[in-house]
Amino acid sequence: MRRIITFRLAALVAATALTLTACAESESGGESGGDDSGPIKIGAVLDITGAGASLGVPERQTLEMLAQQVNDDGGIGGRELELIIEDNQSTEDGAAKAATKLINEDQVDILLGASRSGPSFAMRPIAEDAEIPMISLAANVQIVDGSEWVFKTAQNDSVVLENIIDLAVEEGWQTLSLIRDSSGYGEGVQEALAELGEPEGIEVVTTEKFAPDASDFTAQMVNVREAGADANIIWGIPPAAALAQQAYRQLNIDAPVIQSHGIGNQVFLDTAGQSADGLLAPLGRLLVADQLPDDDPQKPVIEEFMADFEEEYGEQPSTFAGHAWDGFTIAVQALEEAGTDPQELRDYIENLEGFVGISGVFNFSAEDHSGLDKTALAIVTVENGEWKLVDDNRD
Amino acid sequence: MTDFLQLAFAGLSVGAVYALIGIGFVAIFTVSEVINLAQGEFAALSGLIAISAVASGLPLPVAVLVAVASVAVVALLMERLTIAPVKRMTTLTSIILTLGVSTALKAVMLIVWGPNSQGLEAFPGENVTVLGVSIRSQELWILGITAVVAVAVIWFYEQTGWGKALKACAEQPTAARLVGISLARASMLSFLIAGVTGAIAGVAASPVYFTSWDSGLAIGLKGFVAATLGGLVSVRGAVLGGLALGVLESLVAGYVDTGLRDAVAFVVLVVVLVVRPSGVFTRQAVARV
Repeated sequence: MRRIITFRLAALVAATALTLTACAESESGGESGGDDSGPIKIGAVLDITGAGASLGVPERQTLEMLAQQVNDDGGIGGRELELIIEDNQSTEDGAAKAATKLINEDQVDILLGASRSGPSFAMRPIAEDAEIPMISLAANVQIVDGSEWVFKTAQNDSVVLENIIDLAVEEGWQTLSLIRDSSGYGEGVQEALAELGEPEGIEVVTTEKFAPDASDFTAQMVNVREAGADANIIWGIPPAAALAQQAYRQLNIDAPVIQSHGIGNQVFLDTAGQSADGLLAPLGRLLVADQLPDDDPQKPVIEEFMADFEEEYGEQPSTFAGHAWDGFTIAVQALEEAGTDPQELRDYIENLEGFVGISGVFNFSAEDHSGLDKTALAIVTVENGEWKLVDDNRD
Repeated sequence: MTDFLQLAFAGLSVGAVYALIGIGFVAIFTVSEVINLAQGEFAALSGLIAISAVASGLPLPVAVLVAVASVAVVALLMERLTIAPVKRMTTLTSIILTLGVSTALKAVMLIVWGPNSQGLEAFPGENVTVLGVSIRSQELWILGITAVVAVAVIWFYEQTGWGKALKACAEQPTAARLVGISLARASMLSFLIAGVTGAIAGVAASPVYFTSWDSGLAIGLKGFVAATLGGLVSVRGAVLGGLALGVLESLVAGYVDTGLRDAVAFVVLVVVLVVRPSGVFTRQAVARV
């Protein structure tokens, strides 16, 4: 009997320990504060490890490269720029902790991040309470809906969904299935899709969910195959989106598959392999920059960024790197023009119009803190493992 | 029916990976009552080593051998450096020690391979469709490899002198020592078995389930639950437990809610520990291994 009790105890301790490692601590950080003297501080909270790594890593690379460029050019208004990057480990509590630390301890002038929607939700109330401007790099419109201090640079889900509904109308699809990320990135997508589709007579017949770190998608795809919709939407980021794409092909589902703007990186193409061929996705123009017409207003900006990034890191930047470029460049421009007073910074960003970025041409306003409409995305497919422009969506 | 078979087959394939990890837990626990929380990291490490080996130009079979051999060495080093020096090992001490090793291994993998998930090149073969169930060739590889490894491990314990010596250590440590069996060597051997089976799980699973620095956590936990279903002392129980857990997860995800998939393992663990801590797939009077 004693033996059994010991064994139970040991087994429980082991299970707890295994689980706890998932929430392990990390990161340490900088020192001191200071307002008008010393460096200007930009704090960034990114999903560098964990499920959001394929987004956070290129974003970190971008921020580090750009900060170097700013300092090489003499800083912001003669003051040095100090960039402090924190890893939230793709968790909500990690993001909240990192944001609190950046604001209270490091006293940053402006906050960037997080890479994904869930962690960005966690940061929003902290930035609002501290009255520090924050620019999220994530997609979900609720990050900025009705917010005072929070902006974002990734295209809204609604922008992507409008493009998907346009596509459905064009192709005559009446029914859609949705296989979505169960974290913040996928939240509200089904409702928004149903709402946008209704006037066009387009219906969402099933919704399946997957955890961002899921590895087997058979269950979801079996149910989607059963539902037999005209087209199916996979809404996630790699590696999950790539594994879902593979499962979709493996189960021989004939209907066309549409992916979200969460797949805009080489990691997706590498991990999805052949299964990616033929999918459709509304994606940022960065991926098809070489195929854009020469008069595209974004082309020179994108090409310069791509050349810089390739020279620095020897690989192509992703659209997520582009969101980081937009966030950082907007922040620096605002700091240059409006100084470090939080209220003036915020007002400057809110009134910024015609800012030509990597993710699109931004027009912020009091009502719209994301600044991009549906023309920010082009319709892209994959052919032999490469992005191919289908429709540049400028008209 | 087709859907049921498809879900069940997907579950078997995932479950086979849990089973291989579970064997590792059993191999070590029976000899020294050590619960090795780094078992999942063995799999992640071997997957990553194989991916790098293929990327550096080695053919796939060689890359797999390199990965398995490297992880076997890591497992032996782990035993020599962290387990062997401890004079009075209790299960609780072992959990704390191996948790430390697990964290260290994860940190090393994060530094060396970075945070992104990667997949190893698939083993050769064609995907097939049987009775409407589409089957990836890699899934057949996983099931086949698990079967071979399970049979080999059971044969080793039951038919070879070394295997019998390990069983003796597990059942009567003092008596085993009296007849001249070295407990130190037995412990090393058990880590070798755990390292090799974990590494095989890692390379077999990587092409379909991908590998990253932190992927060992989830399969380590599931493998531990598989081993618990065998009372932590039965290889057969761990294999059956792993397969059952995989199928159960897949069916729950398909028919109830995909969000509950990862809850299945925890619920099973709690139920087993409360109702039948000696294991489900074991005879009541526990004969170890």
